[in-house]
Amino acid sequence: MAYDKNKSEHAHHDDHSGHSEAHFREKHLMLDPLPRGQMNDMVMESMTGKPTWKFWAAVIILGGIVAYGLVYTWARMIIEGIGIAGVNRPSYWGIFLVNTVFWIGISHAGTFISAILRVFKAEFRRPFTRAAELMTTFGLVQAGFSVFMHMGRVWLSYWLFPYPNQRMLWPNLHSPLTWDLLAITTYLLSSTMYLFLPLIPDMAMARDRSTGWRKNLYKVLALGFRGTEGEWTHLRNAMNIFAFAIIPVMFSVHTIVSWDFAAATRPGWNSTIFGPYFVVGALHSGMGAAVIVLAVIRGNMKHMKYFIRAEHFDAIGKLMLIISMAWAYFFFNDYMVQWYGGDKWTHQLLHFHEEGPLGWMWLSMLICNVAVPWAILWNTKWRSTPWLVSTVGIIINVGMWFERYIIVPVSLTINRAPFTWRMYKPGVEIQLGIGTLALFILLYVLASKIIPLIPVWEVQEGQMAHELKKFGRETVVSVSELE
Amino acid sequence: MTEEKKVVDLLAVFSDLEPAADAVEQLRALGVHDDCMNVISGVPVTEAMLGRPRQWTNVPRIAMGGAILGFGAGFFLAFISPYLYPYPIQVNTHAFVPGPPTVVVLFELTMLGMLLSTFLGVFLDSFFPNYRPMKYVPEISDGKIAILVECPHMEEGKITDTLKKLGAESVKPAEAQHL
Repeated sequence: MAYDKNKSEHAHHDDHSGHSEAHFREKHLMLDPLPRGQMNDMVMESMTGKPTWKFWAAVIILGGIVAYGLVYTWARMIIEGIGIAGVNRPSYWGIFLVNTVFWIGISHAGTFISAILRVFKAEFRRPFTRAAELMTTFGLVQAGFSVFMHMGRVWLSYWLFPYPNQRMLWPNLHSPLTWDLLAITTYLLSSTMYLFLPLIPDMAMARDRSTGWRKNLYKVLALGFRGTEGEWTHLRNAMNIFAFAIIPVMFSVHTIVSWDFAAATRPGWNSTIFGPYFVVGALHSGMGAAVIVLAVIRGNMKHMKYFIRAEHFDAIGKLMLIISMAWAYFFFNDYMVQWYGGDKWTHQLLHFHEEGPLGWMWLSMLICNVAVPWAILWNTKWRSTPWLVSTVGIIINVGMWFERYIIVPVSLTINRAPFTWRMYKPGVEIQLGIGTLALFILLYVLASKIIPLIPVWEVQEGQMAHELKKFGRETVVSVSELE
Repeated sequence: MTEEKKVVDLLAVFSDLEPAADAVEQLRALGVHDDCMNVISGVPVTEAMLGRPRQWTNVPRIAMGGAILGFGAGFFLAFISPYLYPYPIQVNTHAFVPGPPTVVVLFELTMLGMLLSTFLGVFLDSFFPNYRPMKYVPEISDGKIAILVECPHMEEGKITDTLKKLGAESVKPAEAQHL
């Protein structure tokens, strides 16, 4: 098919602009096609190859952290009560909800990369859409866990669901907390389905070249897919519907999460800009997390250097820079209006943010979310360096976690009743938070051995659409719209 | 069944799109109806690329149906469920069914209904899951394009020769196998 097509029909080996065909092939995955069978083998080998000692070490360490941080500590909290967590008057919302907002933010990257970039036909997305979609699903699982931890009496969580019970007590659907349930459930189900649909052809590919238990697993998950015209048509239509429809769902989730805060008339929270501010913040941390995942995959999995290249870090780096600017704009917008409003308690809160005992966190938030990305990501060379961009991704995530910490427990410290002011000191929330982080990484590590992280058919489709063309003396990359 | 009426399925495997599209055209010229052909590929090759008639899909209609059902569920929860309390809770002068929160509930459930039904639509339209033996060769997921042709037994030789002349790597009777 495309790989044996002479793509450089119009291209000379060297042109006057100094870019040879080899240069383009090295730089762009889409211009460096390999036979499909070879790409399939590379992806299969990355999954089925004998795990290294590093893999087992990671699994054992992460498993241990999950067992202690999540399973044991949560069981202890259930037995002893939520009193062993640090939440208390006036900060009834602590790290559990910081982590909920944080993980929902991480989950935004998958939809952003997969749906928005698909709608806008951004070709660089192709090799890493699945890696990002997996982040969405696994991130939402951690968000769900964090909400359940916050509930305390988690065994009563089914009370949130609307069902005709014996006493005819319906949940109040006019409360932002019930909207949360609806929005997070909708987003979790939608993003899992959106992860699965494009996976079906790759499961069929894996089925065709596996044996033993893997063959049985992939056979079940491939659902009998062969790649007939009808199957592709149904799949393409469904993926188009998903790509368009999941975008407003993604926006709604974090907007609704922001309303948990903004709908209250508390100083610092009652802001009309919180919806978009939260969405941009979610994208900021999500893109940061996506670039970390890509760097880890590229560095640790076999053959991934072919699929994930400097061009991808460069493209994500640009997005991170733009999103950082947008975050700075929304932050300043929110700050400016609150500061100018002149409300006594809001002024007190802003002063507490900047010069209180956690003022260092407020300042670090600005450095991590704005100063560092702006200082590094403007430079193409730095932006194309995987370790550097992923380090910026880590720093952004630290900054975004600080931002949520400042919005939730720090802002709750100052209210209109000074006699209740008290600093929040976390208890078991720290172990539980580390447990969710370890579970997220563990799920990803295990999934990398079962799920093809590269959507091979999407990469091949992209390679079919790309070619080099000559305009005058210059060779340029040209993309055909195949759909 | 008499020898003339006996029908066979042939599976021709091509390594490229162009000869596959030529083969579709040639088969049509030989009197094979479009309904008697099916193209199987490892990447989504559009009908236009192969010169094939547009495939019908019910997925958008099923999605629309799901959206309507979702909207209905949202309507029930937002408008009707408050009246199902044995002692309806009226808070001061607040509207019993307030507008903006209702929009949120309607939106979320409409989208959930639409996306769930879109997902199910793929299953319904594609008859997934299907674990029965099927006519297929694993080379397809290696990037080959296969044409599955249903033809009269009498025509088998002629069609095989034509497909081979057009560049088919192999043409053989299609056998249903467990995938």
